[in-house]
Amino acid sequence: MSWWLVPLGAATAGVAAWAALRPGRRNNARRRPAAHVERLTQLPEYQAALRRYRRWLAVATIACGTLLASTLLAAARPVGIDTINPEQHNRDIVLCLDASGSMSSADAEVVDVFARLAADFKGERIGLTIFDSTAIQVFPLTDDYEYARDQLTLARDAFNGKPGTSGFLDGTWSGRGSSLIGDGLASCVTSFPPGREQRSRSVVLATDNFVSGDPIMTLQEAAGLAKERAVRVYALHPGDLDYGPDAHQPGAQLRAAAELSGGAYHALDNPEAVPGIVQAVQATEATALGGAPRAVATEVPDLPLALALLSGLVLAIASWRLRP
Amino acid sequence: MTRLLYRVKSRMAIFAHRKARGMLDGEYGSVFRGRSLDFDDLRAYVPGDEVRDLDWKATARHGSPLIKRYVAVRRQTVLLITDTGRNMAAEAAGGETKKDIAVMALGVMGYLAHRHGDIVGLVCGDADRTTSVPAKSGEAHLERLLRHVHASATPDSAASRLEDQLEHVARTIKGRFLLFVVADEIAATPPLARLLRRLRAQHEILWLTVRDAQLTAEARWYSVHDASPLLGHLAGAPGVAAAYARAELVRDAGRKDMLRRAGITEGSVSESQDVIAGLFALLERHRRAG
Repeated sequence: MSWWLVPLGAATAGVAAWAALRPGRRNNARRRPAAHVERLTQLPEYQAALRRYRRWLAVATIACGTLLASTLLAAARPVGIDTINPEQHNRDIVLCLDASGSMSSADAEVVDVFARLAADFKGERIGLTIFDSTAIQVFPLTDDYEYARDQLTLARDAFNGKPGTSGFLDGTWSGRGSSLIGDGLASCVTSFPPGREQRSRSVVLATDNFVSGDPIMTLQEAAGLAKERAVRVYALHPGDLDYGPDAHQPGAQLRAAAELSGGAYHALDNPEAVPGIVQAVQATEATALGGAPRAVATEVPDLPLALALLSGLVLAIASWRLRP
Repeated sequence: MTRLLYRVKSRMAIFAHRKARGMLDGEYGSVFRGRSLDFDDLRAYVPGDEVRDLDWKATARHGSPLIKRYVAVRRQTVLLITDTGRNMAAEAAGGETKKDIAVMALGVMGYLAHRHGDIVGLVCGDADRTTSVPAKSGEAHLERLLRHVHASATPDSAASRLEDQLEHVARTIKGRFLLFVVADEIAATPPLARLLRRLRAQHEILWLTVRDAQLTAEARWYSVHDASPLLGHLAGAPGVAAAYARAELVRDAGRKDMLRRAGITEGSVSESQDVIAGLFALLERHRRAG
């Protein structure tokens, strides 16, 4: 912002206007004297021409003034003040989806929701990792939302079993066993860039936590890793079929892991509930981040510059009309 | 400053050389000299002399045309009337100041009158005041009259109002004079027409119009009236120029009609070179008419 430019420029324009309009002593020095001028100026034709001329002159004057004012405004570099929640757009989200057959519909919903959310992302980074017995990073953290949306759409089609898309899930079964949740979560957690960036990290983990096989890391260990790396895990569990408050039930384990990392646990009754839950996750995330709202000044020269362009055009037309 | 009368004389000398010596004198004489019955002498004919003044017997004897001259019955008074308002400080159609043309015309007429022994007076002025200089003879007097006109008509003078001067003449002059009016393109109005008819009843009137500049011409003008500049590109627009030309035709026709109805002979000039030819034509027309 250089507001001081505005009074300075206005004063300069005022002085220039005064100098131009000051009644000059030698105004008629190069003109020739004529009598009975009113015989010409009282003609209706002359009056009409004079009115036209004055109209264009007024247009030119206004356009000139607008041009000056708007360029002056633009030169003063106007800014818009936005209050933003800095952390809101400063997040990294990794979707960590269990690709086992039982999860397809929930996964499809999750990727669908994020495909839509990605449209509104500004600065967030999103990544997608799918796992069964092996974890595959479909795409790493990126802010290329178009690419992310394409990939998420592909993922949705694959999860929905659309013909010809099964190749998407290739490679997730190459390990021993299936649904190695701990390994999958650990892969997701390690897919964040190393070091402590000033960005919040969260993993949306969709799994039913039915492990069959021998994972390298247990869910517990993976959750510990997440906590260590300041990654919050939001667990979505379709079909919470826990039987009693036993801490070894899959749902309870998942809840414990999520809460250990500082995240939250959501049980899905049906896949259609996913959008609501994702919103809840977003909201939790927002409150958890709790960054103080900050005023951010962004330059907004668009309006004055557009106005300057417009008045420049009008001025050009008017001066073309006014040419002697 | 060169003597104004000197300029007039040299212009007349050039004219006389170009055309025929004494032509203007002849015209003036045939128009205004009263003819008495007292024969004076004979002189050689100069073009412009009244044919009926030829002494045919003397001509036959002499071998070349001779004119009878009579002793003048009376000394005529020529009253020069002109406008010295600021309008006369503006440009004429020929590019000169109208005042200069007026001075030339008044000078030629005054000098002709002087040569014929007539006395010359002046009435001039603007909307504020009218100056009247009594008629006298002599070149010095004529020079003074011309200088007065020359000095009075400036851009700082009051507005032009020839009606005032004409009214002054109608009010104050007794007797029958020869009025020589030099004005710019005056517009015909009923009061002016009445005034002219009134003057014509008493006097002989010759009217010389100095043509005003064409305002639609490619030039930068300002009004002598209020010093405001004229927007030349508007004035030069085809529609405006056509309308101006139409209005000018109507105005000229109106003035000619007014003067004709009043019995006044009118001539017009655009530049001082034309003055003598224009005046000659004016006298010629007047002689034919009268």
